[in-house]
Amino acid sequence: MTAVPDAIDQALGIAPGSPLHALRALRPEFVSGAEACRAAVLDPEETLDLSPELRRAIARRVVAGAGHDRLTEGYPRPADPALAALADGEMPEDFALAALARHADLIAETPAKAGPEHLSALQEAGFSVPQIIALSELLAFACYQIRVVHGLGLLKETRA
Amino acid sequence: MTDTIPQVTLKPLTWTPHLPPVEIEDATPRQLEAMKVTPSAKKVSPYVRTLAHDPDSYVARTVLFNAIMYAEGGLNRADRELGALGASLINGCKYCANVHARQHARLTGTATTSALYAGRRDALNPRDAAIMDFAEALTATPPTAEQSHVEALRAQGMEDAEIQDLIHSIAIFGWANRLMHPLGHSD
Repeated sequence: MTAVPDAIDQALGIAPGSPLHALRALRPEFVSGAEACRAAVLDPEETLDLSPELRRAIARRVVAGAGHDRLTEGYPRPADPALAALADGEMPEDFALAALARHADLIAETPAKAGPEHLSALQEAGFSVPQIIALSELLAFACYQIRVVHGLGLLKETRA
Repeated sequence: MTDTIPQVTLKPLTWTPHLPPVEIEDATPRQLEAMKVTPSAKKVSPYVRTLAHDPDSYVARTVLFNAIMYAEGGLNRADRELGALGASLINGCKYCANVHARQHARLTGTATTSALYAGRRDALNPRDAAIMDFAEALTATPPTAEQSHVEALRAQGMEDAEIQDLIHSIAIFGWANRLMHPLGHSD
Protein backbone atom coordinates (compact mmCIF):
# COMPACT_ATOMS: atom_id res chain seq x y z
CA MET A 1 0.00 0.00 0.00
CA THR A 2 1.25 3.47 -0.82
CA ALA A 3 1.13 6.12 1.90
CA VAL A 4 -0.65 8.56 -0.41
CA PRO A 5 -4.42 7.97 -0.60
CA ASP A 6 -5.37 6.58 -4.00
CA ALA A 7 -8.26 7.83 -6.15
CA ILE A 8 -10.71 5.33 -4.63
CA ASP A 9 -9.79 6.27 -1.05
CA GLN A 10 -10.25 9.92 -1.95
CA ALA A 11 -13.61 9.25 -3.58
CA LEU A 12 -14.74 7.30 -0.51
CA GLY A 13 -13.34 9.87 1.91
CA ILE A 14 -11.45 7.24 3.87
CA ALA A 15 -7.99 7.27 5.46
CA PRO A 16 -5.71 4.76 7.15
CA GLY A 17 -7.27 3.67 10.42
CA SER A 18 -10.80 3.38 9.08
CA PRO A 19 -12.34 -0.10 8.84
CA LEU A 20 -12.95 0.27 5.10
CA HIS A 21 -9.34 1.26 4.52
CA ALA A 22 -8.28 -1.88 6.38
CA LEU A 23 -10.66 -3.93 4.23
CA ARG A 24 -9.13 -2.51 1.05
CA ALA A 25 -5.66 -3.32 2.40
CA LEU A 26 -6.59 -7.02 2.22
CA ARG A 27 -6.41 -6.72 -1.58
CA PRO A 28 -3.36 -4.55 -2.29
CA GLU A 29 -3.30 -5.83 -5.87
CA PHE A 30 -6.77 -4.33 -6.50
CA VAL A 31 -5.59 -0.98 -5.13
CA SER A 32 -2.32 -0.83 -7.05
CA GLY A 33 -3.96 -2.36 -10.14
CA ALA A 34 -6.63 0.33 -10.28
CA GLU A 35 -4.04 3.07 -9.82
CA ALA A 36 -1.97 1.66 -12.69
CA CYS A 37 -5.10 1.60 -14.85
CA ARG A 38 -5.90 5.17 -13.90
CA ALA A 39 -2.43 6.24 -15.02
CA ALA A 40 -2.75 4.20 -18.22
CA VAL A 41 -6.03 5.78 -19.33
CA LEU A 42 -5.28 9.36 -18.18
CA ASP A 43 -1.52 9.74 -18.68
CA PRO A 44 -0.31 6.87 -20.87
CA GLU A 45 3.19 6.63 -22.26
CA GLU A 46 1.68 6.60 -25.76
CA THR A 47 -0.72 9.55 -25.74
CA LEU A 48 -2.19 8.87 -29.22
CA ASP A 49 -2.73 12.64 -29.46
CA LEU A 50 -5.44 12.59 -26.82
CA SER A 51 -4.51 15.28 -24.29
CA PRO A 52 -4.56 14.71 -20.53
CA GLU A 53 -7.17 17.50 -20.29
CA LEU A 54 -9.43 15.86 -22.86
CA ARG A 55 -9.11 12.51 -21.11
CA ARG A 56 -10.03 14.02 -17.73
CA ALA A 57 -12.94 15.94 -19.24
CA ILE A 58 -14.44 12.71 -20.60
CA ALA A 59 -13.93 10.88 -17.31
CA ARG A 60 -15.56 13.74 -15.41
CA ARG A 61 -18.57 13.65 -17.75
CA VAL A 62 -19.01 9.94 -17.12
CA VAL A 63 -18.54 9.85 -13.34
CA ALA A 64 -20.58 13.02 -12.71
CA GLY A 65 -23.75 11.09 -13.54
CA ALA A 66 -23.24 8.68 -10.65
CA GLY A 67 -23.68 11.19 -7.85
CA HIS A 68 -20.45 10.47 -5.97
CA ASP A 69 -19.19 14.04 -5.66
CA ARG A 70 -15.71 13.25 -4.38
CA LEU A 71 -15.14 10.91 -7.32
CA THR A 72 -16.14 13.70 -9.71
CA GLU A 73 -13.79 16.13 -7.92
CA GLY A 74 -10.94 13.75 -8.75
CA TYR A 75 -11.26 14.98 -12.34
CA PRO A 76 -10.67 18.75 -12.38
CA ARG A 77 -13.03 20.83 -14.49
CA PRO A 78 -11.06 21.96 -17.59
CA ALA A 79 -10.31 25.65 -18.13
CA ASP A 80 -10.90 25.35 -21.88
CA PRO A 81 -14.60 26.20 -22.55
CA ALA A 82 -15.13 23.45 -25.13
CA LEU A 83 -13.62 20.80 -22.85
CA ALA A 84 -15.58 22.24 -19.91
CA ALA A 85 -18.80 21.73 -21.88
CA LEU A 86 -17.76 18.14 -22.49
CA ALA A 87 -16.93 17.65 -18.81
CA ASP A 88 -20.16 19.31 -17.66
CA GLY A 89 -22.41 16.94 -19.58
CA GLU A 90 -23.39 19.55 -22.16
CA MET A 91 -23.25 19.08 -25.94
CA PRO A 92 -20.04 20.76 -27.19
CA GLU A 93 -20.32 22.84 -30.39
CA ASP A 94 -17.17 21.27 -31.85
CA PHE A 95 -18.14 18.42 -34.17
CA ALA A 96 -15.55 15.93 -32.91
CA LEU A 97 -16.16 16.70 -29.24
CA ALA A 98 -19.92 16.41 -29.76
CA ALA A 99 -19.44 12.97 -31.34
CA LEU A 100 -17.29 12.00 -28.38
CA ALA A 101 -19.89 13.29 -25.91
CA ARG A 102 -22.64 11.26 -27.56
CA HIS A 103 -20.48 8.14 -27.53
CA ALA A 104 -19.51 8.64 -23.88
CA ASP A 105 -23.17 8.91 -22.86
CA LEU A 106 -24.12 5.83 -24.87
CA ILE A 107 -21.35 3.67 -23.41
CA ALA A 108 -21.86 4.87 -19.84
CA GLU A 109 -25.66 4.65 -19.80
CA THR A 110 -26.77 2.04 -22.32
CA PRO A 111 -23.80 -0.07 -23.44
CA ALA A 112 -26.15 -2.82 -24.62
CA LYS A 113 -27.34 -0.49 -27.40
CA ALA A 114 -23.85 0.12 -28.79
CA GLY A 115 -23.23 -1.09 -32.33
CA PRO A 116 -20.79 -0.69 -35.24
CA GLU A 117 -22.56 2.48 -36.42
CA HIS A 118 -21.40 4.26 -33.26
CA LEU A 119 -17.77 3.45 -34.04
CA SER A 120 -18.30 4.70 -37.60
CA ALA A 121 -19.61 7.98 -36.17
CA LEU A 122 -16.39 8.41 -34.21
CA GLN A 123 -14.30 7.62 -37.29
CA GLU A 124 -16.29 10.16 -39.32
CA ALA A 125 -15.58 12.71 -36.60
CA GLY A 126 -11.86 12.16 -37.21
CA PHE A 127 -10.87 9.69 -34.50
CA SER A 128 -8.38 6.98 -35.49
CA VAL A 129 -8.78 3.31 -34.57
CA PRO A 130 -6.11 3.49 -31.81
CA GLN A 131 -7.78 6.63 -30.44
CA ILE A 132 -11.17 4.89 -30.40
CA ILE A 133 -9.66 1.97 -28.48
CA ALA A 134 -8.00 4.32 -25.97
CA LEU A 135 -11.24 6.28 -25.53
CA SER A 136 -13.19 3.04 -25.07
CA GLU A 137 -10.83 1.95 -22.29
CA LEU A 138 -11.03 5.37 -20.65
CA LEU A 139 -14.84 5.43 -20.69
CA ALA A 140 -15.07 1.91 -19.35
CA PHE A 141 -12.50 2.62 -16.64
CA ALA A 142 -14.66 5.50 -15.38
CA CYS A 143 -17.62 3.10 -15.28
CA TYR A 144 -15.49 0.64 -13.28
CA GLN A 145 -14.55 3.36 -10.78
CA ILE A 146 -18.20 4.32 -10.28
CA ARG A 147 -19.07 0.75 -9.32
CA VAL A 148 -16.12 0.18 -7.02
CA VAL A 149 -16.81 3.43 -5.18
CA HIS A 150 -20.54 2.78 -4.98
CA GLY A 151 -20.09 -0.80 -3.82
CA LEU A 152 -17.35 -0.15 -1.28
CA GLY A 153 -19.36 2.80 0.04
CA LEU A 154 -21.94 0.25 1.16
CA LEU A 155 -19.24 -1.46 3.26
CA LYS A 156 -18.33 1.63 5.27
CA GLU A 157 -20.20 0.15 8.20
CA THR A 158 -17.92 -2.81 7.82
CA ARG A 159 -18.08 -5.92 9.94
CA ALA A 160 -15.23 -8.24 10.80
CA MET B 1 -37.81 -26.02 -6.55
CA THR B 2 -39.76 -29.13 -7.37
CA ASP B 3 -40.26 -28.47 -11.08
CA THR B 4 -37.40 -29.29 -13.39
CA ILE B 5 -35.56 -26.84 -15.59
CA PRO B 6 -33.98 -28.33 -18.71
CA GLN B 7 -30.21 -28.19 -18.25
CA VAL B 8 -28.56 -25.93 -20.80
CA THR B 9 -25.12 -26.61 -22.20
CA LEU B 10 -23.84 -23.40 -23.75
CA LYS B 11 -21.65 -23.61 -26.82
CA PRO B 12 -18.70 -21.23 -27.13
CA LEU B 13 -19.23 -18.12 -29.28
CA THR B 14 -16.80 -16.49 -31.67
CA TRP B 15 -16.04 -12.77 -31.30
CA THR B 16 -15.29 -10.64 -34.36
CA PRO B 17 -14.11 -7.03 -34.04
CA HIS B 18 -15.86 -4.14 -35.83
CA LEU B 19 -12.52 -2.32 -36.20
CA PRO B 20 -9.33 -3.70 -37.76
CA PRO B 21 -7.10 -5.30 -35.10
CA VAL B 22 -3.34 -4.89 -34.95
CA GLU B 23 -1.66 -7.31 -37.33
CA ILE B 24 1.29 -9.03 -35.70
CA GLU B 25 3.63 -8.15 -38.57
CA ASP B 26 2.75 -4.43 -38.17
CA ALA B 27 2.86 -4.34 -34.35
CA THR B 28 5.21 -2.00 -32.51
CA PRO B 29 7.63 -3.45 -29.94
CA ARG B 30 5.38 -2.18 -27.13
CA GLN B 31 2.31 -3.77 -28.72
CA LEU B 32 4.15 -7.07 -29.09
CA GLU B 33 5.27 -6.83 -25.47
CA ALA B 34 1.68 -6.05 -24.40
CA MET B 35 0.35 -9.07 -26.29
CA LYS B 36 3.23 -11.16 -24.91
CA VAL B 37 3.95 -12.37 -28.41
CA THR B 38 6.86 -14.73 -28.61
CA PRO B 39 8.31 -16.27 -31.76
CA SER B 40 6.81 -19.61 -30.73
CA ALA B 41 3.32 -18.26 -30.05
CA LYS B 42 2.13 -16.00 -32.83
CA LYS B 43 -1.55 -16.87 -32.55
CA VAL B 44 -3.12 -13.99 -30.63
CA SER B 45 -6.90 -13.57 -30.42
CA PRO B 46 -8.65 -10.79 -32.39
CA TYR B 47 -9.85 -9.32 -29.09
CA VAL B 48 -6.32 -8.95 -27.74
CA ARG B 49 -5.08 -7.59 -31.06
CA THR B 50 -7.93 -5.03 -31.18
CA LEU B 51 -7.14 -3.70 -27.72
CA ALA B 52 -3.39 -3.77 -28.36
CA HIS B 53 -3.88 -0.58 -30.39
CA ASP B 54 -3.50 1.05 -26.96
CA PRO B 55 -0.84 -1.05 -25.22
CA ASP B 56 -0.77 1.02 -22.02
CA SER B 57 -4.40 0.41 -21.05
CA TYR B 58 -4.34 -3.17 -22.31
CA VAL B 59 -1.49 -4.19 -20.02
CA ALA B 60 -2.77 -2.34 -16.94
CA ARG B 61 -6.32 -3.65 -17.29
CA THR B 62 -5.18 -7.24 -17.86
CA VAL B 63 -3.12 -7.19 -14.65
CA LEU B 64 -6.10 -5.83 -12.67
CA PHE B 65 -8.55 -8.23 -14.32
CA ASN B 66 -6.43 -11.26 -13.46
CA ALA B 67 -6.03 -10.12 -9.85
CA ILE B 68 -9.78 -9.67 -9.45
CA MET B 69 -10.82 -12.93 -11.06
CA TYR B 70 -8.02 -15.23 -9.88
CA ALA B 71 -6.53 -13.85 -6.63
CA GLU B 72 -6.04 -16.49 -3.95
CA GLY B 73 -8.39 -16.68 -0.98
CA GLY B 74 -11.49 -14.60 -0.41
CA LEU B 75 -14.61 -15.18 -2.48
CA ASN B 76 -14.80 -18.53 -4.26
CA ARG B 77 -14.24 -18.61 -8.01
CA ALA B 78 -17.81 -19.60 -8.88
CA ASP B 79 -19.30 -16.59 -7.09
CA ARG B 80 -16.87 -14.27 -8.88
CA GLU B 81 -17.98 -15.81 -12.17
CA LEU B 82 -21.62 -15.28 -11.21
CA GLY B 83 -20.93 -11.60 -10.49
CA ALA B 84 -19.29 -11.36 -13.92
CA LEU B 85 -22.26 -13.10 -15.52
CA GLY B 86 -24.81 -10.85 -13.81
CA ALA B 87 -23.03 -7.72 -15.04
CA SER B 88 -22.65 -9.13 -18.55
CA LEU B 89 -26.35 -9.99 -18.86
CA ILE B 90 -27.39 -6.46 -17.82
CA ASN B 91 -24.81 -4.81 -20.07
CA GLY B 92 -25.91 -6.92 -23.03
CA CYS B 93 -22.51 -8.50 -23.59
CA LYS B 94 -23.53 -11.87 -25.01
CA TYR B 95 -19.97 -13.02 -25.48
CA CYS B 96 -18.86 -12.26 -21.90
CA ALA B 97 -22.06 -13.78 -20.52
CA ASN B 98 -21.45 -16.96 -22.50
CA VAL B 99 -17.82 -17.30 -21.39
CA HIS B 100 -18.58 -16.73 -17.71
CA ALA B 101 -21.74 -18.82 -17.66
CA ARG B 102 -19.66 -21.71 -18.99
CA GLN B 103 -16.98 -21.06 -16.38
CA HIS B 104 -19.63 -21.06 -13.66
CA ALA B 105 -21.13 -24.28 -14.99
CA ARG B 106 -17.69 -25.90 -15.13
CA LEU B 107 -17.09 -25.00 -11.48
CA THR B 108 -20.49 -25.84 -9.98
CA GLY B 109 -22.70 -27.54 -12.56
CA THR B 110 -25.41 -26.18 -14.83
CA ALA B 111 -28.29 -25.59 -12.38
CA THR B 112 -27.72 -21.86 -11.89
CA THR B 113 -26.86 -20.94 -15.45
CA SER B 114 -29.71 -23.07 -16.82
CA ALA B 115 -32.16 -21.23 -14.57
CA LEU B 116 -30.78 -17.84 -15.67
CA TYR B 117 -30.86 -18.66 -19.38
CA ALA B 118 -34.40 -20.02 -18.97
CA GLY B 119 -35.49 -16.75 -17.33
CA ARG B 120 -36.20 -18.63 -14.09
CA ARG B 121 -34.71 -16.35 -11.43
CA ASP B 122 -37.15 -17.91 -8.96
CA ALA B 123 -35.26 -21.20 -9.25
CA LEU B 124 -31.92 -19.81 -7.99
CA ASN B 125 -30.71 -20.86 -4.56
CA PRO B 126 -30.80 -17.99 -2.02
CA ARG B 127 -27.06 -17.26 -2.21
CA ASP B 128 -27.03 -17.08 -6.01
CA ALA B 129 -30.18 -14.93 -5.93
CA ALA B 130 -28.53 -12.47 -3.52
CA ILE B 131 -25.43 -12.31 -5.75
CA MET B 132 -27.51 -11.73 -8.89
CA ASP B 133 -29.65 -9.05 -7.23
CA PHE B 134 -26.51 -7.22 -6.12
CA ALA B 135 -24.78 -7.64 -9.49
CA GLU B 136 -27.77 -6.17 -11.32
CA ALA B 137 -28.15 -3.23 -8.94
CA LEU B 138 -24.44 -2.37 -9.00
CA THR B 139 -24.37 -2.66 -12.80
CA ALA B 140 -27.31 -0.27 -13.31
CA THR B 141 -26.49 3.27 -14.45
CA PRO B 142 -26.33 4.96 -12.06
CA PRO B 143 -25.91 2.06 -9.63
CA THR B 144 -28.92 1.36 -7.42
CA ALA B 145 -27.27 -1.10 -5.02
CA GLU B 146 -28.08 -0.27 -1.41
CA GLN B 147 -27.46 -1.45 2.13
CA SER B 148 -30.21 -4.07 1.88
CA HIS B 149 -28.28 -5.86 -0.88
CA VAL B 150 -25.22 -6.08 1.36
CA GLU B 151 -27.37 -7.34 4.23
CA ALA B 152 -28.79 -10.04 1.95
CA LEU B 153 -25.27 -11.20 1.08
CA ARG B 154 -24.23 -11.18 4.74
CA ALA B 155 -27.35 -13.19 5.58
CA GLN B 156 -26.03 -15.85 3.18
CA GLY B 157 -22.82 -16.05 5.19
CA MET B 158 -20.71 -13.80 3.03
CA GLU B 159 -18.03 -11.85 4.89
CA ASP B 160 -17.19 -8.27 3.98
CA ALA B 161 -13.83 -9.33 2.50
CA GLU B 162 -15.75 -11.64 0.17
CA ILE B 163 -18.29 -8.93 -0.67
CA GLN B 164 -15.35 -6.70 -1.57
CA ASP B 165 -14.18 -9.38 -4.02
CA LEU B 166 -17.69 -9.62 -5.46
CA ILE B 167 -17.90 -5.84 -5.92
CA HIS B 168 -14.67 -5.93 -7.90
CA SER B 169 -15.72 -8.86 -10.08
CA ILE B 170 -18.96 -7.05 -10.96
CA ALA B 171 -17.16 -3.74 -11.53
CA ILE B 172 -14.43 -5.18 -13.76
CA PHE B 173 -17.18 -6.52 -16.01
CA GLY B 174 -18.71 -3.07 -16.06
CA TRP B 175 -15.42 -2.35 -17.81
CA ALA B 176 -14.89 -5.49 -19.92
CA ASN B 177 -18.50 -5.55 -21.20
CA ARG B 178 -18.05 -1.96 -22.41
CA LEU B 179 -15.16 -3.13 -24.60
CA MET B 180 -16.29 -6.51 -25.85
CA HIS B 181 -19.85 -5.61 -26.81
CA PRO B 182 -19.37 -2.15 -28.39
CA LEU B 183 -16.19 -3.15 -30.24
CA GLY B 184 -17.37 -6.36 -31.87
CA HIS B 185 -20.09 -8.91 -32.42
CA SER B 186 -20.35 -12.54 -31.43
CA ASP B 187 -22.09 -15.54 -32.93
